[in-house]
Amino acid sequence: MLSRIGNSLFWMGRYIERAEHIARYTRVQYVSSVDAPLGQNRELILESILDMAGSKDAYFGVHEKLEDDKVIDFISISESNQFSILSYIGRIRENARGSRDSISIELWEAINRFYHKVNELMTAEMPAEEIEFFARRIEENSYITKGYIENTLLHNDVWMLISLGMHLERAIQVIRILQTKLDDIEKFEEMKQGSALENYQWSTTLKSTEAFDMFMRCHKTSPTRSHVIDFLLFDTQFPKSVAYSMEWIKKCIEGISFQQEESRKESLEFMAGKLACRFQYLTIEEVEDRAPQFLQRTLDNIYEIASLLDVKYLKYH
Amino acid sequence: MDAAVRQNQTSEVFANYQIPPNFLDEVFRAPGEVHPHYQAVYQQFLEFSKEEFKTLNEHAKMSFFNQGITFSVYSDKAKGVERIFPFDLFPRIIPAAEWAKVEKGILQRCVAMNLFIQDIYSNQHILKNKVVPADLIFSSKNYLKAMIGVKPVGGIYNHISGTDLIKHSDGEYYVLEDNLRCPSGISYVLSNRVAMKRTLFQMFRQFNVETVGEYPQELLATMQSVAPRGIDAPTCVVLTPGVYNSAYFEHAFLALTMGVPLVEGRDLYVDKNFVYMKTINGPKRVDVVYRRLDDDFLDPMEFKPDSMLGVPGIMAAYKKGNVNLINAPGTGFADDKAVYTYVPDIIKYYLQEEPILNNVHTYRCEKDDDYQYVLENMDKLVIKPVDESGGYGILIGSKATKEQISEFKTLISENRRKYIAQPVMNLSTHATFIEGDDQFEPRHVDLRSFCLLGKDRQFVLKGGLSRVALKKGSLIVNSSQGGGSKDTWVMAEDGASQSMQQNGSMEQSMTLNGETMTMGPQGMSIGTQGSMSMGKPGAE
Repeated sequence: MLSRIGNSLFWMGRYIERAEHIARYTRVQYVSSVDAPLGQNRELILESILDMAGSKDAYFGVHEKLEDDKVIDFISISESNQFSILSYIGRIRENARGSRDSISIELWEAINRFYHKVNELMTAEMPAEEIEFFARRIEENSYITKGYIENTLLHNDVWMLISLGMHLERAIQVIRILQTKLDDIEKFEEMKQGSALENYQWSTTLKSTEAFDMFMRCHKTSPTRSHVIDFLLFDTQFPKSVAYSMEWIKKCIEGISFQQEESRKESLEFMAGKLACRFQYLTIEEVEDRAPQFLQRTLDNIYEIASLLDVKYLKYH
Repeated sequence: MDAAVRQNQTSEVFANYQIPPNFLDEVFRAPGEVHPHYQAVYQQFLEFSKEEFKTLNEHAKMSFFNQGITFSVYSDKAKGVERIFPFDLFPRIIPAAEWAKVEKGILQRCVAMNLFIQDIYSNQHILKNKVVPADLIFSSKNYLKAMIGVKPVGGIYNHISGTDLIKHSDGEYYVLEDNLRCPSGISYVLSNRVAMKRTLFQMFRQFNVETVGEYPQELLATMQSVAPRGIDAPTCVVLTPGVYNSAYFEHAFLALTMGVPLVEGRDLYVDKNFVYMKTINGPKRVDVVYRRLDDDFLDPMEFKPDSMLGVPGIMAAYKKGNVNLINAPGTGFADDKAVYTYVPDIIKYYLQEEPILNNVHTYRCEKDDDYQYVLENMDKLVIKPVDESGGYGILIGSKATKEQISEFKTLISENRRKYIAQPVMNLSTHATFIEGDDQFEPRHVDLRSFCLLGKDRQFVLKGGLSRVALKKGSLIVNSSQGGGSKDTWVMAEDGASQSMQQNGSMEQSMTLNGETMTMGPQGMSIGTQGSMSMGKPGAE
């Protein structure tokens, strides 16, 4: 496989996952902020949305203060944001287009339809109340696209590179969601450990990853800091948990027929394997007290894998 | 309903059909009366109402849109707006016998052009014998000195040719131009057929239409046949300028249907005169490159030094015979407008045959009698400068004012070498569904054919791209000028379904190119032997 094609497939996977997670987080957080328990302030949620998407600086580059319509518009479709959800859909399509001869016609047509559908929805400006509809379309189409990836491609290098991109990005997004929520909770000055408001925050965190039902089935208790972090980081069966993604990152890297390397310790396989194995045997008790540091270090490790992959195999000029 | 009764009805979509005078209409010979080979399709179409047709039309459009066969429209506001290449549901039909002659003519012409290019880059006999003037060749900007003495595998230069044909009011086919560089359009031929089958499957299956689907496999086999010597399983690739190229869809389509990598210049590099592509599994040698890149951009070390699209050093690898390029660089001088006028002479010179396809008669102003004729008949002619393309500097006599004509006379007299003149060709018309009016109207069409030459193998696609000038009265079929296209059906045998008869003895017989083929319990037999295979071009 050409390195350039590999690069396109990898980023196609990453952007699908990124667009989906930003859309879902924005929708869940914004919609729940409308009828949140007393004490939660709307601006905090708007800021949280911008934080999670990594767009806060860019937003304040064009707007002075936090306003519902402005934030939602900026995150979703605004042309002044080069990392809007809409821009990611465009990038998914460009990457698919660049690797058309490697993917199925059905997958390409699904992505192409996705792009055109989202563009149809686009108006001059997106009012905040439209986010529910808009984000749902993004999430649904993301699942449709993933269905075509799963069911119409050979599960070979092509599929594994897309999957690698998806799982890598999924792990990043889930960690970012957790980081953002920990920060948000810090900001509630009056909040006491275990208060109703904090539990409410952890519920919306679970909903932002479509984890609420499955969490309840496993833990059978209202969400607490410790249980939620445990579930989203270490549950080996929940497909959005970081441990689950790590396992897939390892499998994909092992499965792709990369050019052999001389030294095993510096290889991508070694790095991914070490990280995935460590995650299998970590417990929440070990990381609970220093959760922010642990999240950051994990994120750094993942970025390190991505950058090694890029330098060794996907660079082409 | 009885066929005879139905024929007397005029369906509303054909009710206002006016055959333009002075032109040949491919479908109708008189109002309500179609040529015999259109009878069956016409009757099917009569069964559709206006509304049904509109629905079918939308259906076909969606098929293209979802396949991503679109052009981007770069207007200021409408971002992400894309347009499809307009497609018409009424197929153009070419009877088997008529096609047989066209096919021979295309092959003859392409083979002769190949010999011509080979001669020019080696011994230049044709120049020494003064059949073609030498300065005509050497002054062409598409003539490449770098190609002198280069001997491509199999002696093939124009592996892929796209000869443009029109049908004149005299009922004959004429060659409008030869395209020997990177002729495009094949993906539309194949996608049109898919759209046609998706939309009108019930109708389509009743006809015995020659397939076009084998083109990608034929192209791959052609590429493999000219791989560098000693390579058993050659690695073939399609080289594209990138996703922003307007023909990118076609490049990707061809790579996908041939099952070969689609590469960009930046994926390739040259090491010790061998070409490699950079893959996640390390470097991989490349043997045959179907490049959809102009000569100028191919190799910054040999041609345009600022080309970002090409592959530095690929020409050196090519000259060493370590990689083959399709088409060969430097074929462009042979499809010049000025060379065009010599093609009949070129065919006679190399093949000792009379040209099968007509050339549009061309007056060369440098010749005294021709010059005289042109001056006296400017109102009937189209005057073209030989060294320009894209329709620049052309005078259409019938549409020009007196001032323009006298202005042009001065221009020609100042540089007679620079101008040629041709009679206005009356492109045939074809019934075409016009949106908005929601009915069929006559529109002018041409035909781009596709011919492949490989080492010891030749192939002409049965059909081609029928391009339609959608603007009323317009003779310009280019997609940039509001052109569309049609599926082109070459019938497998004349008379199609009608001639297929089943007799009592469980035997079926059909007529193919004048031979009767019988299929029965005993097996299959063919009337006369031997003439089924495609012989050498013009060997008869």
